[in-house]
Amino acid sequence: MTMRYEVFLGCAIPNRFNNYESSMRAVAEHLGIELLDFEGASCCGTVVLKSIDEMSWLGLSGRNIALAEKRGHDIVTPCNGCFGSLKDVDHVLHDSEEFREKVNEALAPLGLRYTGKVRIRHFVEVLYDLREEIRRRIVRPLDGLKIAFHPGCHLIRPSSVAGFDDPELPHKVDELLELTGARSIPWPLKLRCCGSPLLIASEDVATRILQEKMRSAIDAGADCIVTNCPACHMQFDVQVLGLKDEDGSSLELPALFVTQVLGIAMGLDHDRLALETNRVSLDPIAEVLGL
Amino acid sequence: MTVAGSWGKFDSFEGRKFDVLDAEFTHAVTELLGGQDLTACFQCAKCSAGCPVSDKVNIQVHEVMRMLVLGIRDVLQTDMIWLCTTCYTCQERCPQGISITDILFGLKNMAFRNGIAPPGYVAARQTLYERGRLYEPTDWEREDLELENVPELDVDETRGLLERLGLMCLQEDE
Repeated sequence: MTMRYEVFLGCAIPNRFNNYESSMRAVAEHLGIELLDFEGASCCGTVVLKSIDEMSWLGLSGRNIALAEKRGHDIVTPCNGCFGSLKDVDHVLHDSEEFREKVNEALAPLGLRYTGKVRIRHFVEVLYDLREEIRRRIVRPLDGLKIAFHPGCHLIRPSSVAGFDDPELPHKVDELLELTGARSIPWPLKLRCCGSPLLIASEDVATRILQEKMRSAIDAGADCIVTNCPACHMQFDVQVLGLKDEDGSSLELPALFVTQVLGIAMGLDHDRLALETNRVSLDPIAEVLGL
Repeated sequence: MTVAGSWGKFDSFEGRKFDVLDAEFTHAVTELLGGQDLTACFQCAKCSAGCPVSDKVNIQVHEVMRMLVLGIRDVLQTDMIWLCTTCYTCQERCPQGISITDILFGLKNMAFRNGIAPPGYVAARQTLYERGRLYEPTDWEREDLELENVPELDVDETRGLLERLGLMCLQEDE
């Protein structure tokens, strides 16, 4: 199995969640996954551009896919938004000759062409392939840690596009997290959207969704909330700061990326996992994480 | 709940009468990406049952679907259009296999062309056109973590592409 990918970082990670990139690179290096710098990559357009103008969205992400195709590599991304957007564009261009021709016409002056040869993967998909390798490399078990795992919408839905996990009972990333000895607990609103896409249209509604999510995770007894998406993490580690429920009790819960949890359990250098840049205090779980 | 500004003005069915239904509009929606199965909707409301904003909007998603089938253009003024989180739960669960979330994306496109959009989207279009990215890298933090610079992007390439695709002239007066 080839483990060389163009790594598509997107915009949110280099802007606010460099801890995700740093921990992803540490985990990738440890497991022998080669990440190539994706020269010339632009924004994927995400649900924002798809909402404004679908033709532009198809073209912008079509260009990204065609760039990888020209260089002969598959794409891996740690971002659910980029994953969903690139996969969705790939799906549309694969199925529709009309849109494929329109996009290729617009790409022609750039010397690019989409033919559909590139495979687009989420970083956690690649990790799932390597689960036995990860199991062998757990040196610092996280026994007793109760994780509220949030897969995020675009990793699993629509399943006809994402094609990764069961859209109603996802289990793959939970399996990865439980390799560490931690437990991925069931919680009522696990599959509920985090609200992040609404920050651009109504911060009020986005925050009400976040309050419901956090209450659900806390009531289920979670010690922390774990994600594989920078947009969701934006809600759980930034927007949540100072957030209280109606009774005035705090809705903050330590928030980590999947790569940080796996990195700790595989004994990787904490500096590279960049735990000090997580915003919500990790003190309540410092002991079990060995911080 | 009320929404201020240029969107969400259709906030109730109370006292509204629709004399003329617009079959052309329904047809236009079936032509959108994902719109092909629109008319198979039989109003089970499973979409609204799983929707994270059902209890936060004036007009719910199954009502949007009804308005589309009946050809009521006012649907573009409902808050559901821009308060859809794009979580795809409705689409995943629709027993008729209707691509509901994708239809909502198409409706957002229509609304934007008609000047009905939250200001954040208007600003995001400008940023994407000018920079090819929604957000810029935070270099000091990347240096602290010893991360390499984000690979170069030639924005002339993305600008030219978005010009050819018409991103900056979606509305009549642009």
